[in-house]
Amino acid sequence: MNSWYSSRFSLLRIESWESEFTVFQPESEKTHFLNEMGLQILVMLDQSPTSLEVLCRKLSEYFTLQPDAQFLRQVAQILQRYEALGLIERVKESE
Amino acid sequence: MKVGQLSLDEFHALLIGQGLRVKMGPFNLSVQTRLPLLIRQLHQMYSHYSLAEEDEIVEFHVRVIPKHSIRQPLARLIRFEVDGRSPFPPVPVEQALATLEWGVNLVIAMRINHLLLFHSATVERNGHVLLLPAWPGSGKTTLSAMLMHRGYRLFSDEFGLMAPETGDFFPLPRLMPLKNQSIEIIRHYLPEAVLGPEIPGTLKGTVAHIRPPQASIERADEAAQPRWIVFPKWVAGAALRLESLPQSEAFLLLATNAFNYEVLGEAAFDAVTRLVRGCECRKLVYSDFDSALVALDELTDG
Repeated sequence: MNSWYSSRFSLLRIESWESEFTVFQPESEKTHFLNEMGLQILVMLDQSPTSLEVLCRKLSEYFTLQPDAQFLRQVAQILQRYEALGLIERVKESE
Repeated sequence: MKVGQLSLDEFHALLIGQGLRVKMGPFNLSVQTRLPLLIRQLHQMYSHYSLAEEDEIVEFHVRVIPKHSIRQPLARLIRFEVDGRSPFPPVPVEQALATLEWGVNLVIAMRINHLLLFHSATVERNGHVLLLPAWPGSGKTTLSAMLMHRGYRLFSDEFGLMAPETGDFFPLPRLMPLKNQSIEIIRHYLPEAVLGPEIPGTLKGTVAHIRPPQASIERADEAAQPRWIVFPKWVAGAALRLESLPQSEAFLLLATNAFNYEVLGEAAFDAVTRLVRGCECRKLVYSDFDSALVALDELTDG
């Protein structure tokens, strides 16, 4: 099972605009626009490497949601996107 | 010394010789051409601009020169060049003024990276800058022409030039290309405006340039701090709406609208953050200029 980790979270510049966030990533010099859940994913992955299933459970508790298969797919897509952007890294179980 | 203080002969001699060195806001521009039509047009349209001093550095060296075409031997074509390179295909000689002005704008957009460049009309009222960011074709040139003839100081119809460190905006009052029906609108609303010749057949249709007011050009070295950001949109028949815009949306629109946001990286991120946090952000939908001007007057009165 894969886990993800936001290893460079502390380097990000984050500005809060009520319920939205602009995030500057120094390594890529890109600015990302995130909603609250998008940012919360990074926050949770900063704490420890987390699997998709555990992340979804934590998010559903935090946002008081009922997780279903579609929610799982959406979060998986966000993780793929974040990984492609270099915001998070995949951690193999064997590691 | 002003361009208008040169006789046409003196002006002609500069353009065909070492180049006309003229101040354009924070930049100096050198123009060379031998085209009699363009020389006459520039003598009128550049009359309020100051000549650059001998010891001043010129940022941009541009030329408008005849282009002889084997395929079109009878056509009278010209080419715009900057530092020997030609970013546009040749165009008919009648389009020389429009091509020169677009060429200079292109060079500014491509080369200036010590300032953050927004794609925006920019004016000043009561000592503060009103930024009107919009994409091409949204009517920002027409709107800024209206505003500058209603007491606003023109900074630019095309660029918001911001120093990322200080947040200051710099004026760059250049000729403003009105297009198609906007030409008649301005002739009707602003009979006092000085317009150049109508130039048909350009990529953007018929173009006529409006000369910035003398007062705006003479105060082109006076920077100002921003206070209002209004995203304008002209919609035929629409009732006037001037509504508050969430700051996150304003950030997104400004960052994607800037020419060089990505080039400036973290400095641009910080600058746009400070800009948005320090300004009132609105979106404006309008179809009638009079009501739009009243709404902008009310916004900038305080």
